[in-house]
Amino acid sequence: MQKRRISDYLMTALIWLSATATASILLIIVGFIFSNGWRLISPTFLTREANDTLRIVNFESESMVTAEIMGDLLVVEGIGLTLERDETYGIKVNHVAADAPGRHALDNAGEIFPIRRGQVLEGINEERIHGGTTLDEISTMFDNHSTFTFRIRQLGGGIFPMLISTLMLIFTTLLIATPLGVLAAIYMVEYAKQGRIVNMIRFAIEILAGLPSVVHGLFGMLFFSRILGLGMSVLSGALTLTVLLLPIMIRSTEESLKTVPNSYREASLGLGANKIQTIRKIILPSALPGITVGIILSIGRIVGESAALLFTLGTFARIPVNPATGNLSIFEAGATLTLRAFIEVQEFGNIEMASAIGIVILVIVFTLNLCSKLMTKKFGK
Amino acid sequence: MDVEIKLTKKRAFSEKLFHALFLSAGLFAVICVTAIIILIFTRGSRPFMPGNEYGTYHFFNFLTGTFWRPAFGEYGVGYMIIASLFATFGAMLLGVPIGILTAVFIAEVAPSWLAKIMQPTVELLAAIPSVLYGVFGFAVIVPMINNFTPNPTGYSLMAVILVLTIMVLPSIVAISVTSLRAVPTHYKEGSLALGASHIQTIFKVLIPGAKSGILTAVVLGVGRAIGETMAVILVAGNPESGVPTSIFDPVRLLTTNIVLEQGYATGLQAQMLFATVIVLFTFILAINLTLSKIRKKAVRI
Amino acid sequence: METKFKIQDLNLFYGDFQALHNITLDLYENKVTALIGPSGCGKSTFLRTLNRMNDLIDNVKITGKILLDGRKDIYEKMDVIGLRTRVGMVFQKPNPFPMSIYDNVAYGPRCQGLKDKKKLDEIVEEALRGAALWDEVKDKLNKSGMSLSGGQQQRLCIARAIAMAPEVILMDEPTSALDPIATQKVEQLMGKLKEKYTIIIVTHSMQQAARISDKTAFFLMGEVIEFGDTDKIFTNPDKKETEDYITGRFG
Repeated sequence: MQKRRISDYLMTALIWLSATATASILLIIVGFIFSNGWRLISPTFLTREANDTLRIVNFESESMVTAEIMGDLLVVEGIGLTLERDETYGIKVNHVAADAPGRHALDNAGEIFPIRRGQVLEGINEERIHGGTTLDEISTMFDNHSTFTFRIRQLGGGIFPMLISTLMLIFTTLLIATPLGVLAAIYMVEYAKQGRIVNMIRFAIEILAGLPSVVHGLFGMLFFSRILGLGMSVLSGALTLTVLLLPIMIRSTEESLKTVPNSYREASLGLGANKIQTIRKIILPSALPGITVGIILSIGRIVGESAALLFTLGTFARIPVNPATGNLSIFEAGATLTLRAFIEVQEFGNIEMASAIGIVILVIVFTLNLCSKLMTKKFGK
Repeated sequence: MDVEIKLTKKRAFSEKLFHALFLSAGLFAVICVTAIIILIFTRGSRPFMPGNEYGTYHFFNFLTGTFWRPAFGEYGVGYMIIASLFATFGAMLLGVPIGILTAVFIAEVAPSWLAKIMQPTVELLAAIPSVLYGVFGFAVIVPMINNFTPNPTGYSLMAVILVLTIMVLPSIVAISVTSLRAVPTHYKEGSLALGASHIQTIFKVLIPGAKSGILTAVVLGVGRAIGETMAVILVAGNPESGVPTSIFDPVRLLTTNIVLEQGYATGLQAQMLFATVIVLFTFILAINLTLSKIRKKAVRI
Repeated sequence: METKFKIQDLNLFYGDFQALHNITLDLYENKVTALIGPSGCGKSTFLRTLNRMNDLIDNVKITGKILLDGRKDIYEKMDVIGLRTRVGMVFQKPNPFPMSIYDNVAYGPRCQGLKDKKKLDEIVEEALRGAALWDEVKDKLNKSGMSLSGGQQQRLCIARAIAMAPEVILMDEPTSALDPIATQKVEQLMGKLKEKYTIIIVTHSMQQAARISDKTAFFLMGEVIEFGDTDKIFTNPDKKETEDYITGRFG
């Protein structure tokens, strides 16, 4: 009796210990990411490019230019600019008027590079501005000038390109993977007779599901990037992810198709509808919640995936834009949030940046998880 | 009369068309798997066949070699195999007991308000991307190990095992909780009615009752551990050689090997990467088969 | 009496198992024919051959002929979808679609390509009236069909079938899942329906068969033992097996 009591207490202690260990480890990790990255989080973090952009831009003024100091700001009439002093960077643009000529400033390549709030001014005409320059010193640089050449630094350190890349990747992947998965699931549930073909497909799905994402990435790099010649691009990444996500999409669609009662199918066919009408009008709508859950799970996987994308999408902190036309293109490379976080650590050792990106990733993933839980609760099966 | 037959033919044709459409979607998965297997196996086995344009390599040397130095034409994955095995085994050794006990806590021991909080939390945490675990490992675990390691850095097998354990925990816990809860209540009631304590009931009746689900969780955990790449790269050290003789030694795993060289490997080196994949495949297959045999045996009892 | 269905030597096999043996039968127009017999003796299977619902099952083999209007073999010479627009079915468990009452009734016509809202409105109203449901639901046509009571749901399924303007309505134990009051309402309905349609009903309840049908066929082990006027079957059957079943010696 004594012996059993002691071993019971021991086991109970171990159980509590394990649970505490598990809970604390996981909370520590989340806490670590938040505490290391929160300082970087701001609206500008979300909207800025990753790297600083340095440009020399030119514009003209129509009217007379006068610079006047008002409080902490330098207001420059005639070009509609207000400048402020910043401790870290020196002189920054505080405000650009709606009719300011700077909005259409041209760089040396003849392309428009608008002057914007937040940009750092590093040179006006021939004069250089450095960190210690005061607003007073600058105010004289505007006199007697009507054409201006500004040396502008647009600050980076943001994740905007990664956000765009991630969105493009999600959209493209779902566009390809969802129909494929749903159609395949419809085949498995509504058409296939139990037998060789079905078993073959199921076996293939099992294997695909069990492949580590490295292998998907290697295959994607070889087949989509090299053999098909897509190089590193959103499309290549999307195709690789489609293969990776196929099991998830098929399984969740299959499950929800199976919950549609057979009596619906019988009633529909009994009323003279054909199979396609039955699928389209009755079965698919009923299966929609399950399909949506599959989509949400896939989005979560896309956001978190890294090994499969390293060499199919790339790791470039850029917006996937065709350099010739300036339009978004799925044939261009980019980097998702997760990939970027990895690079920040592996190449730059920048924990703070990686954690900040991590916060954004966690917020997205947790929200998705919540959504899918709500969906399964609401449509309850 | 004829109109009806024409209608039948037309309908039959369009139904056949749709049938073909759905079938092709289903076969797409099969095509992908076939393509993957063909591409990997053809490229990966060439170095060991005579007449390879990039030169031949001895398969035995490949499997047992302890140096990976493409510049010198050395391709040995032996030390990586050992590292991968140690890492997976270590992660399971730590993760499975802690995971099962935590699951027991949530399903049986915790007061219901606590269980209600813990379960979704663990599920949510299973969704964290692996890279973030790597970041944590890099920033916290490696420096921590650095404090007491006899080796120059904290990048080590121990770091890898710890990171893998943490990654594998949430899924083991989540599945085990579901399995434990699925055990019929009358088993539990029967045991308690016979005078067994709660703890005894848990270990003698509930856990064996949830055997099948728990083993599934273990299989999934092993799959995740052996296939994990990104989190591990940041903490492993990735040396070019060296069978790990202590947990403080830096290691290179089969998976990390593939990723590290993927970007620039050509010729023989590229083929060797595919060969590494073949080895990885074999291990995953072997482990899965063994585990499913154990599962079948266990479930029968 | 016109013959609606002429069944000649019908045999049905599920794989190796023979479910229907040499059935030869005439089903008459604008009459209610009841199919009775103990469970598992092929009544439902037989019913489903009439609108080729058995096509949905693998491994089913059928020999013999079923002629619609006494002329056309429904297996050889008819488009199955066309057949089902002429021969409707009501199932044992009410199974309205998860859509509005209106959409449920309009489903069949819409599948056949009917889009004109006015026409659909007419059809829906007529069908719901024909099923004695219109007054109860006319103000809530866009409420979900699942919000109705069991008996109302079954009448909705009847309305749904009627909306196709079929010639025959097959009913597979339509009231077995309903309470007595709902059952009574549906039975009253059947009396009205036979003026426009031919009704074939499978029922477990002999009392129901006796109440509502004109003709009755007694099934046993996949064979039709006896077929004739309901009155005769229930008061003075020819075959001994029929009499045993009627008097409750088995079944």
